[in-house]
Amino acid sequence: MLITLNQITKVYQIGEVDIPALRGVTFTIDRGEFVAIMGASGSGKTTLMNILGCLDQPTSGQYSLDDTEITRLNRNELAYIRNKKIGFVFQNFNLLPRTSALENVELPLFYGNRLSSRQKYQRAIEMLTRLGLADRLEHYPSQLSGGQQQRVAIARALINQPSIILADEPTGNVDSKTGQEIMKLFQQLNQEEITIILITHEKDIADYARRLIHIKDGEIV
Amino acid sequence: MSLFLTLRVALRALIRNKVRSILTMLGIIIGIAAVIAVIAVGQGATVMIQEQIASMGDNPLIIFPGSARVGGFRFGAGTRSTLTVQDAEAIIKECPYVKAVTPIIRAGGQIIYQDKNWSSGIEGVAPSYLEVRNWNLKEGNLFTDSDVKSATKVCLLGATVAKELFDNEESVGKTIRIRNMPFRVIGVLEKKGSAAFGHDQDNTIIAPWSTVSRVLQRSSFNEVNQILASVTSIKMLEPAKKEISAILRQRHRLSQGTEDDFSITDATEITNAITSISRLMTLLLVVIASISLIVGGIGIMNIMLVSVTERTREIGLRMAVGARGKDILLQFLVEAVVLAGIGGVFGIFLGYGAAQIISNANNWPVLVSTDSILLAFVFSSVVGIFFGFYPAWRASRLNPIEALRYE
Repeated sequence: MLITLNQITKVYQIGEVDIPALRGVTFTIDRGEFVAIMGASGSGKTTLMNILGCLDQPTSGQYSLDDTEITRLNRNELAYIRNKKIGFVFQNFNLLPRTSALENVELPLFYGNRLSSRQKYQRAIEMLTRLGLADRLEHYPSQLSGGQQQRVAIARALINQPSIILADEPTGNVDSKTGQEIMKLFQQLNQEEITIILITHEKDIADYARRLIHIKDGEIV
Repeated sequence: MSLFLTLRVALRALIRNKVRSILTMLGIIIGIAAVIAVIAVGQGATVMIQEQIASMGDNPLIIFPGSARVGGFRFGAGTRSTLTVQDAEAIIKECPYVKAVTPIIRAGGQIIYQDKNWSSGIEGVAPSYLEVRNWNLKEGNLFTDSDVKSATKVCLLGATVAKELFDNEESVGKTIRIRNMPFRVIGVLEKKGSAAFGHDQDNTIIAPWSTVSRVLQRSSFNEVNQILASVTSIKMLEPAKKEISAILRQRHRLSQGTEDDFSITDATEITNAITSISRLMTLLLVVIASISLIVGGIGIMNIMLVSVTERTREIGLRMAVGARGKDILLQFLVEAVVLAGIGGVFGIFLGYGAAQIISNANNWPVLVSTDSILLAFVFSSVVGIFFGFYPAWRASRLNPIEALRYE
């Protein structure tokens, strides 16, 4: 198993009140799967994504990713796991402004990497070419369309050959036609044995995945 | 992230906000420039004073006649002529630490050559004067002991007098008139520059002391304004002072318990006094300059805090793709140090330029030492680290989830 979640809970403390966001979530994801985690806002899917993405630690339970027990790791070790094993794709792209597409894609290689700048450059070019952006290397995000920006973000997510791609509402900021293109791109990547976890509240987007996990009120339904 | 890459990222970020970066640097630039200029002027002044003291001669001792006393009422030093030429002769004869000595009898007056006239001091001295003052002849010859004996009307001109009266023409052999007395010019002195308190040492004429005394002052006494002695080495200054004091007390028949009727000053006292004043001034100005540097540092801190807030999302993203807290810390710290460092470099140039302008305007030597440049550079970098640390630390402590969602 690539991912094993066992009885994951997350409780936020706001003042004196404890607010449970996840109440014992258990599931597994295998290598090469394309999973959509669906739920309405407030269902706990964002919390689940933060934990899956090693951005946050659960209150209790075990999370194992690629045979590494994540719940025992400290801040720096989590950063290392994020760098090596997780590629993020965000709703609002989160590209660095006034920074070329190429450099945005190179960014994960700057951390915890011993590649020469030439190798980084080569890899970033290859990745952008693979995503059909070979003629947009030096463009700033502001000079690219929404779909192109999201493809740059996907190239950035893929550059370190991560174990999973974690896409949080990747079509939320683009029109439906571009959204379809992005989803087709994910399907295509999935065919190349890349594990993709998609977080969304839209049914027709979730339908692109091969497996659906519904979450409601912090529990899998 | 490697330091080189971090540096590149920092430079990019600073270039992205050009105006803001330059304005922030300005604080550091002004601070560093002030420090550099102040130290340069201070060191220049110290060197100038040392040179001027050295121009007085080798380890000079100046002996003044004592103060006049009328009843219980005392006047200042030099108000009574208690020193004579014979005292000077006794000093060189009896004191082993003194290598040369000369009496000085001062007169002044209008000097005329053809249609030109000029006013300068005339010093009546012994032929050893040039040795005492460590001064050389530019042309001509010195007068001799026999000139002194017979009070010949010969003189040597200081560079300024030679220029004013002869305007670069040959002056040796010509006759000038001092207070309407004809004097033959037998030599010209080398240029020596201005003295510690700014008066022009080259605006002088020297002549045999006997001539000045008899011809110009019409005096038959051998009273002198000053005796100038040159001591063999700087260590011998104190023993020489004691010895001279003993010789003069004996010659003046002063019984034990009576006060000296002369005073002996050595140049190191003057040097020390002036040096300590200039050092104090420099210190004071450096303190003021440092305060401006601190103000500049606070400017950096302020702008870095703004920058961290503005780039919260960027920080969140960097963390999401694997930046550790210390990577973020380093990134912002390097940015602050680069800001301060570049400001420091510009400040050094500006300070250097200011020092040159001060030196040109005041005819004052200005010394920009490598020490002060190095100090300024290190200082500005330290300011960058010190004031950049808090904003960088705040950035490194951000929660990636909140940072990513920051609007």
